[in-house]
Parts: sequence; C-alpha cells; structure tokens
Amino acid sequence: MNYTISTIAPIFLLPFFAFVINCVLIKKVPKFVPWVSVAGIVGSFFFAAAIFIDFFTVYNTDYYIHKVFNWIDLSHGDNIFKIDLGIFIDNMTAVMLLMVTGVASLIHIFSTWYMKGDVRWERFFVYLSLFTSAMLGLVLSDNLLSIFMFWEIMGFCSYSLIGFYFEKEEAGNASIKAFMTTRVGDVFFLLGILAIWAVVGSVDIPSIYAAISNGAFEGKTVFGIALASFAGFCIFCGTIGKSAQFPLQVWLPDAMMGPTPCSALIHAATMVAAGVYLSLRMYPLMYVGELNTLIAYIGGITAFGAATIALIQKDLKAVLAYSTISQLGYMVLGIGVGAYNAAFMHLVTHAIFKACLFLSAGSVIHSYHDKYMPEMGGLKNKLPYTCIAMWCCTLAIAGVPVFSGFVSKDRILGDALYLFLQTGEGVYAIPTILGFVGAFLTPFYMFRMMFLTFHGKNRNKDKYDHCHKEHLTWNQNVPLLILSVFTLGFFFSGSLTGQGIISFAKEKKEWFKVLIEPPVQQRLEKFSNVTSQPFSFEDTRDMSVIPKSQYLKQSGFAGPGYDTSAEEEYYDEVHHAHVLGAVASVIIVALSVLLAFAMYIFGFISPSFFYDKLSFWVKALKNKYYMDWLYIDVLIKKGLLKLNNLLSWFDSGIYDRYAIDGWAFINRQVFKASHWFDRVIVDSVAVDGTAVGTEIFSLVTKSIQSGYIQKYIIVLIGAIVALSMFLGF
Amino acid sequence: MVSLQAYLIVSLILLITGLVIMISRKNIVAILLGIELILNSAALNFVAYSKYTTNNLDGHIFSLFIIVIAAAEAAVGLAIVIRFFQIKETIHIDEVSELREEIAR
Repeated sequence: MNYTISTIAPIFLLPFFAFVINCVLIKKVPKFVPWVSVAGIVGSFFFAAAIFIDFFTVYNTDYYIHKVFNWIDLSHGDNIFKIDLGIFIDNMTAVMLLMVTGVASLIHIFSTWYMKGDVRWERFFVYLSLFTSAMLGLVLSDNLLSIFMFWEIMGFCSYSLIGFYFEKEEAGNASIKAFMTTRVGDVFFLLGILAIWAVVGSVDIPSIYAAISNGAFEGKTVFGIALASFAGFCIFCGTIGKSAQFPLQVWLPDAMMGPTPCSALIHAATMVAAGVYLSLRMYPLMYVGELNTLIAYIGGITAFGAATIALIQKDLKAVLAYSTISQLGYMVLGIGVGAYNAAFMHLVTHAIFKACLFLSAGSVIHSYHDKYMPEMGGLKNKLPYTCIAMWCCTLAIAGVPVFSGFVSKDRILGDALYLFLQTGEGVYAIPTILGFVGAFLTPFYMFRMMFLTFHGKNRNKDKYDHCHKEHLTWNQNVPLLILSVFTLGFFFSGSLTGQGIISFAKEKKEWFKVLIEPPVQQRLEKFSNVTSQPFSFEDTRDMSVIPKSQYLKQSGFAGPGYDTSAEEEYYDEVHHAHVLGAVASVIIVALSVLLAFAMYIFGFISPSFFYDKLSFWVKALKNKYYMDWLYIDVLIKKGLLKLNNLLSWFDSGIYDRYAIDGWAFINRQVFKASHWFDRVIVDSVAVDGTAVGTEIFSLVTKSIQSGYIQKYIIVLIGAIVALSMFLGF
Repeated sequence: MVSLQAYLIVSLILLITGLVIMISRKNIVAILLGIELILNSAALNFVAYSKYTTNNLDGHIFSLFIIVIAAAEAAVGLAIVIRFFQIKETIHIDEVSELREEIAR
C-alpha cells in the first residue's frame, strides 16, 4: 500500500468534513446531520482498516511510516526555527486507528437510535464528528505539538458534550469541572513539550526517540531535577488529567451528565485512552526519567481507589465511570511496571468492552427511563440482547478467562508480579497488591451491577411494565452485539486463555506481542539515522528498517548478530510469572464472583452487613474519599477564593490605585509640561519666530521693488557705470 | 578740421542730457524725447567713429538703422502714451507702478 496524502488524510479529514458540513446543515436540514456524521466515520473506518491490514501483512515490529510537511519555517542563517507537522504510523497507531474508527462508527450508529428525538439531538452529531476527527488526528500525529492541539480540541468537545443538557445546573457545573480539571494537566503537558523542545529542538516523536537513544537528555537538569524526569513528569501530568488518574480523577464521574453515547466514546473508549496513549508514546522518556515507580503507584492507587468507590454506587453510569477510572489505572500501572505491550492491549480491549458496556447502559436507561439500579431488576426478560452483550463485556472486564480482559489485565498484573518477584524491589509490592485487590473488586462490582439491573425481582412495577420488550434493531442492539463479539480474548492473543495456552496459532507469541514492542534503547537506535519524508515521497515496503528476511517471527526482534536464546530464557521467566499471576487472578475472580452471587443472588450475606461493619469506610466511599470536598470546599473555597480575594484586593487596591492611577498622574504631568513646551517653545518661538523673521526680511527686500521706473533706470545706469568702471580699471 | 573729441563731446552732452531728461522728467512724452536724444548721441558716435577710424560705410548704415528704429520707437511709444492716457487720464510716469506691492500708507 502506498502511503500518500490521499490514503492517510481521509481518516482524519472525513469526520472533520462531516463536522464542517454539519455546521452548515444543522440550520437548514437537520435531519441529514446524523447520517453525514455516520457516513464520515464509516468511510474513515475503511481507510483505517486498509492501513491496519497493510501493517498486519508486513508483520514487522519496526515498520513505521513517517511523513511530514513544513508548517512554520522562520529560520534564517544559522538560527533554525522550523516546525514540521506530519503523520507517524507504527503498529500501535495502526491498531489504535482501527479501534477508534471501529468503536466510533458503532457508537455513531447507536447514537442515531439513542439520541433520536432528544433536544438539540442533531447538534450532538456535530460535536461527535469534531471529536472523532480530533482523536484520529491525535493518533496520526507525529509530533507533540499537533498532539497537543488535537488534545485541546478533544477537551473542548468533551466540555460541550458533558454540558449537552445545559438546562440542568449539574451538567453545566460538571462540564466546567471537567474542563478545568483537565486544564491542570494540560498546562503541565505544555510545559513538558517546551522542556523537550529545549533539549531536542523539535517535538516530533522520531526525533525525541533519536535524542533519547543518543543520550541527549543525560546530565541536563532543570530546577535541580533531571530534565528527562521533569519533561516526563509534565507529560505524565497530561495523562493524569486526561485519563482521570489519581489526583485529578474527580471530573470523570461528573462527566456522566452527558448523553450516554458520548460517555461511551469520549469518557470510556477514546479520549481518556488518549492520555494513556500519550504516555505509551513517551514511554522511553518516562523510562529515561526514571518515573516508573511514580507511575506505577499512581496507577495502582487509581485502580484500587476507583474500584472501591464503584462498589457502593447506585447509578448505573456511575459504576461504569468508576470502573473506567479503575481500568485506566491498570493501564497506567502497566506503563509503570514496564508492561508496555499489556498496557496498550488493555487500552484496546478496554475501549471495546467499556464502549459496549456504556452503550448497553444507554440502551437500558433509554428503554427503562431511569438510571438508578435500586429501581431496576429483572430486566433480562425485557432487554435480552442488551443483557447478552452486557454480560459478555462484564465477563471481559472481570477478567474471566477466554475473554479479552483476562488476557490484557492479567498480563499487566503478571508483569507487575514479575517485576516484584524478580527484581525483589519492595517498592513495587504496593502497586502490585493494589492491582490484585482491584482485580478482586472489579468482578464484584460488575456482577453486582449486572445482578441489580438484569436479575432478581423487579423493584419498580410501573416502570417495568412501561418498558417495551427489546427487538433486534440495527441501530439499537446490533452495535452492542458486534462489540461484544470482540470481547473474546483470541482476537488479541490468538489463544483462548492468553499466555499461549490452548493456542490456535503455531507461534509461541501472539500478533499483539510481536507487533507492539516497547521502544527500549536497542529499538530506538534506528530512529537516529532515519529522516522523515515529505508527503509526495513514494515509499515502498523495503523502507522498513529490518528486512523481512532477517526478521524472526518467534522472537520478534532479531537484528544481525542478535542472540535469541537469552531472550527466550527471559520470556520463559516472564511466562512463569505470568502463569502464576494468571492462576492467582483466576482464583481471585472466582472468589469475587462467588461473593457477588452469595450477596445478590442467593442472599447468604446481606450487603448491609458490610455497610454496618465498615461504616467508616463506606462513608468515605460515599464521599468519594473526600476528594471533591478537598478540591472544592477546601482548596477552592477556602484557599483559592481567599487567594483570589487577596489578589483582587491587591489588584484594585494597590495596583489600580497606585500603579495605574499613579502612572496616569505622571502621564498627566508630563503631558502638561510637554504641552507648555509645545505651546511656548515650539509654537511661539520656533514657528512664529520663523514667520516674523521672514516678514522682516521681506520688508527689506520689497522696498527695493518700488515700481517707479525712473528709480530702476537710475539703478540700471549706476550698475552699468559700476560695471564699466570695474572692467575698465 | 574738426577733431574726433569734439564729436564725442557733443555726443556725450546729448547722452547726459537724454539721461537727465529720462530720470528727472515725470512726463512720459518728455521721457520719450530723452530717449530720442540718447539714440541720436549713439548715431552721432557711429558716424564719428566711421569717419575717423574705418573709412567705410558701416557707421553710416548703422546711423540710418538707428533713425529708422527711433521713428518706429517713437510711433510705438506714442501709441503706448495715448493708450495710457485713455486708462489713467494722466501721463505722469509715477502712476505706472502696478507691479509694486501695495504698501499700506
């Protein structure tokens, strides 16, 4: 496949054009708007699929496409200031593109059912198209600057969609909260970009990789800390904000005020995953900056804390929101413990099953006209297809073998366990334990949600009778069923259970593991001598750095003279830790599921037992660990408002009164002095003086011009006499 | 034999007389008469020098030209005087001072 502007750009431009066209259509013919959006994203899906198929047929870890065009060039002479924009597609991008366009297409299709007849429902599709194009642009971007721009567009769309029902005050507040909270992370992200620019002199990803591999970050410090750590931390702060990680997770539960499909697309599948994607892209920087422990801790804390809060939620979407935060925590934990491949895999699998969960929740909410689980129950008779789809996803997120969540999440936990066991470093014990406890809680709250929603007896007869029985509709439950198919693990691992056990493929390593390799030092070196091509460049398959003939499918990476036996040994060790982790988590899941059954189906243990025993803990959970209270009541109302009042007093009392007014006073005096100077010196002396001087001179000269002819004759004669005397003597 | 100096003295007297008339008289006709005297002194000079130095007819021919020019000049000058009198109703030379700036007196 030839990568030119006509094969790559449509991925990002089709949704964007849909957005532009919809902006015009929405006033004239609003009924076309949803279909334009759907057409845009489905078209984009086919282009993305073409790229994915190409990358899958190449099947090479080190294959990538990097093409640029010049955006800003202000260089003159030796001062180089040049910004190129472009695209960077490697295996991770190809998978991500397929995932984003696929999930987004299904969500667009679902939205045509879910949003139909809602207030301003056409406008929803305008935002959705803009968001999708920004997300695809972010994935395709080759540099942090355009990633940042698309990142902000996504933030804006998220803001607009959370506040979609802006008649409700909570929705407006939630949108502001989401925007402001992510802004904290974005500011750090921008700082990180500037820090990288200071070292690398460019922000495109291959240059950063090359600089890292050349050791450009070594020995550079800022504020006394290593620059790589600083830049990595700042960029990770962007991830914290966007992916709702521990200190800044407060916005995501509130973001559920938006319509459910937007929660599915933005706050579950793609935008929040973009933060993790960014951290994965900058993984070498985190590695050089030695931020792994910090990242692992934040991921572990988030995974555990959000899972505990999800235990007591009554709102169907709130459970899913907290489980999203928790799963994002797993991805970040995976980055922290070096499970690059598993973290990305979890990103993809989570996007699919969480999008499906949200869409199913949307289907339930839309059919049942309520979102509180205590009002539900027994809905499996009314909504059978939704129930099936949601059960598949629940099994996936719970980490039940055969399903995708088991393959990805337990690989993260296995890597964490491996790091803890092999390195023997105690610092990794806490994130690992938090991860495993979270893995215990996840099936419990998901099964609890399913039992409360679909099983048992119904608790609100009016609504139950009012709810129509679900039929198979192409835009209601078919998208859910399509998504639920992809919750099966072998799409990602090639084997039924992951770990290469009960495998369909002969190879030991599944395609995901072969294609997505962490960009560690030895793989970064290739970037130092590769230059980017302009878009017009016609590339061929030979461009890939390692020729296909030298490439071993077994071990993934094999340059000339590369010893594969050590790697095999390493993989065996990892494999053992993974099997241990997998067995442990299967046991954990089984226990958790048993507990859920015991509590909500058989009624052996009443939930109130735990409420009574752990009342302090439950109170903390109900208040979301007091984070909202801490931020809004303490930090903002007590701290920031006071500070703002102080600053306002300083501004109006000191600055305005003395600086501004004082400056005005000085200006007035200066004006007076200069006015006097102008009036007296310039006007009176210089201008009028010149006039008077000219007049006096003219009086003298014009007296000669008397007009009396005889005087002229006298002068003439006198002149002649004088001249002749002068000539004569 | 009359010497050259005698001619020149007569010519000089004529010239001085003409100049004095031109400068002192305020009557335009009188000034024209002064001009005629100056032309005649010039013509006399031509004739005298012609007789005493070159011995050819150049000076005489010049004198004839001067007489013709004097006649033409008298005709033009008198015509101007008549036109001037029609406009100003006077022939006082100091009335001809329009080119001068009007000085407030």
